Amino acid sequence: MRYRRPGLDWLSHGLLGLCCLLFGLPVWLAVTASTHTLGDLYSQTAPLGFGDAGLDNYRELLGGAVGGLGTDVTTLLVNSTLMALGIAVGKIAISVLAAYAIVFFAFPLRRLCFWLIFITLMLPVEVRILPTFEVVADLGLLDSYAGLILPLIASATATFLMRQFYLTVPPELVEAARIDGAGPWRFLRDILLPLSKTNFAALFVIMFLYGWNQYLWPLLITNDADYLTIVVSLKRLLTSADGLVPWHYVTATAVLAMLPPIGVILLMQRYFVKGLVDSEK
Amino acid sequence: MATLRLDGIRKRYPNGMTALHGIDLSVADGELIVVVGPSGCGKSTLLRILAGLEPITAGELAINGRRVNELEPAARDIAMVFQNYALYPHMSVAGNMAYALKNRGTPKDEIRRRVANTAALLGLDDLLERRPRQLSGGQRQRVAMGRAIIREPQVFLFDEPLSNLDAKLRVQMRLEIRRLQKRLGITSVYVTHDQVEAMTLADRLVVMNGGHVEQCGTPMALYARPATRFVASFLGSPAMNFLPVTAHAGGVVLPNGAQVALPAILPEGDAATLGIRPEHLVEATASEEAAATLDVTVEMLEPLGADTLAYTRLPGVETWLVVRLDGAHAAREGQRLSLALPVAHCHVFDARGARVPMTGREDAEALAAQ
Repeated sequence: MRYRRPGLDWLSHGLLGLCCLLFGLPVWLAVTASTHTLGDLYSQTAPLGFGDAGLDNYRELLGGAVGGLGTDVTTLLVNSTLMALGIAVGKIAISVLAAYAIVFFAFPLRRLCFWLIFITLMLPVEVRILPTFEVVADLGLLDSYAGLILPLIASATATFLMRQFYLTVPPELVEAARIDGAGPWRFLRDILLPLSKTNFAALFVIMFLYGWNQYLWPLLITNDADYLTIVVSLKRLLTSADGLVPWHYVTATAVLAMLPPIGVILLMQRYFVKGLVDSEK
Repeated sequence: MATLRLDGIRKRYPNGMTALHGIDLSVADGELIVVVGPSGCGKSTLLRILAGLEPITAGELAINGRRVNELEPAARDIAMVFQNYALYPHMSVAGNMAYALKNRGTPKDEIRRRVANTAALLGLDDLLERRPRQLSGGQRQRVAMGRAIIREPQVFLFDEPLSNLDAKLRVQMRLEIRRLQKRLGITSVYVTHDQVEAMTLADRLVVMNGGHVEQCGTPMALYARPATRFVASFLGSPAMNFLPVTAHAGGVVLPNGAQVALPAILPEGDAATLGIRPEHLVEATASEEAAATLDVTVEMLEPLGADTLAYTRLPGVETWLVVRLDGAHAAREGQRLSLALPVAHCHVFDARGARVPMTGREDAEALAAQ
């Protein structure tokens, strides 16, 4: 705080509180609504307090096929987790190797390679979605985890971030390792990867959320309910066949869909902040 | 134990810049060679070439008589201490020291024994589990030394290892490096831009300038008989005084017309430079045989304790003439002094900066022998 004036303090805290309320209210509504029965939800305005059907709602969702989904939410959670994990881990693995090659090896057209990777930042999934679909379909990867993960697994952002980090590694460290008899793989494994730990944490959080929140791609390539992800299924629940939107299920699924990302963030936040802020090693 | 031989080593970078123009040097077993020069003179490039971090453009490099031009750094059996130490930040002190041995597949017991020995040698016993960032500058320096020593290499390479330390620690580590090097008897090449470090550490000194070796020899030989004006100006602190002179029968003439009687062999009328170190300018007494007597005015005094540096001016000469006086000397600013130029300590350099031999003095033969 640059200005020490009590009035300003109150004002800023007031604004902060208001914003928290604004952001928190929908979440709160989702949590409370998920504990009511469908009848309750249709017979009164949005309830701000908890109902008594919470356990039943969640048990039904996690235990068996619900509504028009054709599968239980446990499967959806597993699918989403697998997809997000695959994307996050894959993106990190690929970008580490790509950045390693670009920064530490001299090969012809190195700069061109970097720029080619870099400009793919300007091509989001949506732009190239039809050709990608064509390729994935031809490969017979529709309705499979590979089909969910592979097309999203290369990341220019992550490559760029890793490159920026590698550029800060002092060249003497590379030379010391060379003199100490560490070849390229050893240097990567013994020196570079341990040094990138905090960057991995930051990238993992960002990429996990990116993977978790994917909507268009999974929607396009999955028909089989066994490969549905939870984010896609939310939309599907809303267009339920029998007319009444099962709001108690929708809100409960939304709450469940929020939990893994929150878990990942809580688990990683210490390293995450360090990785983004602390470039000095 | 190793000898090192450099034979016409040249380095040309892909961008066309030539960093080294043919370096010849032989290093005897157990010798500590200090390579000194201003920044950009090629001394670091030379060290990196010895280490194998830079490819050699032309010439041959041999360790123990075996050509190593094409060998990877690790295969040359050398160890290097870097200016910024380049310790692995995520490894403990012990891990840093053991890394090279681990990569070579040394057995675990052997590694443990050698880490313990090296730590004891350097006084690092209590720090083995620490990370580099928990260490002070001097301790990091010691770890970097330990990482080099533990491998028992053929050759040690030091790249300005003391320049990141404060002045006091630098003196202490300088002594320690000297002591360790003598004790272990490992052939070493030490690069620095600090002439005090160079003088104190070196068995032999190599002064480099612009990618050439200007002169090579023991520190005292270089100090007493610098082969070029550059070497003369680089060694010694405060630096040697240089006066522009013209050659003349029986000596040289200062710009103000004063004659200096020297047996220098120079064609009459040639422009030259007369060099004299501040410590060799003495107050004229009747008894001493002097090449010339100069009457100067003291303009500024810098008392250093043991000595006092007097910045004096000779009428008709633009440059300062720095004189090292005894600390107890009662000189005052504005005072006039009468200084004698002892013949034995006068250096004459020709217009290209090369030393002009003087007849009847030992450096004529010494120079001819080089």
